[in-house]
Amino acid sequence: MPDVSPLEAEVAKLIVRTLTLKVDPAQIQPEEPLFGDGLGLDSIDALELSLAISQSYGHQIRSDDPETVATFASLRSLCRSIEQHRTK
Amino acid sequence: MNTAALLGPYHADRVLAWENGHPITYGHFLSDLTALADQLPEKPTVINLAEDRYRFLVGFAAALVRGQTTLLPPSRAPGVLARIAREYTTSYCLIDGTEHIEDLPSCQIPKHTTSQTGNGKVPQVSVDHPALVAFTSGSTGRPHPHSKTWGSLVAIARSTGTRLGLRTAHHATMVATVPHQHMYGLETSIMLPLQHGMAFHAGRPLFPEDVRFALAEVPPPRMLVTTPLHIRACVTAHSQFPRVECILSATAPLPTSLAQQAETLFHTSVYEVYGFTEAGSVATRRTVAEKAWHVLDGITLHQESAGCSLHAPYLREPILVPDLVSLQEPHRFLLHGRGTDLVNIGGHRGSLSDLNQKLNDIEGVQDGVFFLPDETGTSVTRLVAFVVAPGKVAEHILSALRTVIDPMFLPRPLHLVPSLPRNETGKLTKEALLRLLQELHSGERHGT
Repeated sequence: MPDVSPLEAEVAKLIVRTLTLKVDPAQIQPEEPLFGDGLGLDSIDALELSLAISQSYGHQIRSDDPETVATFASLRSLCRSIEQHRTK
Repeated sequence: MNTAALLGPYHADRVLAWENGHPITYGHFLSDLTALADQLPEKPTVINLAEDRYRFLVGFAAALVRGQTTLLPPSRAPGVLARIAREYTTSYCLIDGTEHIEDLPSCQIPKHTTSQTGNGKVPQVSVDHPALVAFTSGSTGRPHPHSKTWGSLVAIARSTGTRLGLRTAHHATMVATVPHQHMYGLETSIMLPLQHGMAFHAGRPLFPEDVRFALAEVPPPRMLVTTPLHIRACVTAHSQFPRVECILSATAPLPTSLAQQAETLFHTSVYEVYGFTEAGSVATRRTVAEKAWHVLDGITLHQESAGCSLHAPYLREPILVPDLVSLQEPHRFLLHGRGTDLVNIGGHRGSLSDLNQKLNDIEGVQDGVFFLPDETGTSVTRLVAFVVAPGKVAEHILSALRTVIDPMFLPRPLHLVPSLPRNETGKLTKEALLRLLQELHSGERHGT
């Protein structure tokens, strides 16, 4: 069981639920890439995920913002971005 | 030799593209394409992988000027690219980053030059030149090629522009969420601006916030070329968007309710474009106002025993419309469903698209699709449905469905899921749906 924060555990569940992934949320490594080699997500998953995140945390994700280029790099970077920008 | 100009009205100082907030004029574009055309290798076919829409256009135009044909692979998956590379061995790649395809030489499209050189002469291209080859995925998984002449691309861009009332004097700017390597994306986000003296945003916004920023980065009047998937995301995001004069949607059916929401959100008119790879764009309709599709000028449809045939001056021979349509007037038709979507359940014939439309029109349904699993041979195979409807129960949706469809087509079962496995262009492949079904079944077996 990797060492994850409560927010990371919560977002991992959100990812699995939103994208109907067949993985145990607790098994998502916080530093592992979400896209490509890691969980293998694609741009449509990113779009779905961004909607779920804006609905749950009020954070609107952008892909061309230099600050958030790395947002979707891993569960940990995604949660860092949510923490900084969440409105709920 | 019959030719058509590379672009519509030419004004050297008019903006053609916005790249990272910087304007690139039509004059710069002619300089860029002339410079690149001189450097291209002497090969008949090219795979243009450029991510930046402007640089893709420079590559596409330079290839045209050199008499080369651009191949549009159905996806960027390495396996698909490798297969096309094997079939077109005399190809090379045009790139604007670090991508490459194994065994094919690559040629870099340079960043645009700030100097405006050359004589400003607009190139002419033979209307019979095979400008590009698009591929349909085909049921066998082997990409099937369809050659497109330069004349057909120009004719479709002109007739689409006429239909939408595009005027060069308006100088609208296009923002597109669709890939330019896709037939619909190329027709609408590259050919349409080029032939009507318009401008376009070189990026490809994905998230609603990206769309908002891209729209804000360009001057009005604006057009948005997109898909039902992106429209739904923008509507759900509850953001304030800049005013858009016109939205074009294609690749999947757009529910009327969603079209209405988008018209309100963007203070705009939403048009759907109907087309298929073999013929390109064929017809349009304003979704909230009309059910019937209006064919583009120059196209005629004829009802024949085998189906509906499509005639156009730029097509060498008539093409059979692959979908179920019924003619209303000579230039208007109703679309009843995709031909490949025909199902027969216990002798009842129906169309999956028609069923999907009815499913998606049910209140509370955000996204939904019917699916016919492969026949097992033991009993009548029933349809299943995957439905995204937060806060709704399956019984509610089933009882609503019961009022609008033949009981034979009621899904057994109806699976409520958080999202559908749509691909990059918003389409649902049979493979993805089969996988989803297997996952749901194995989940039930394991009691999760």
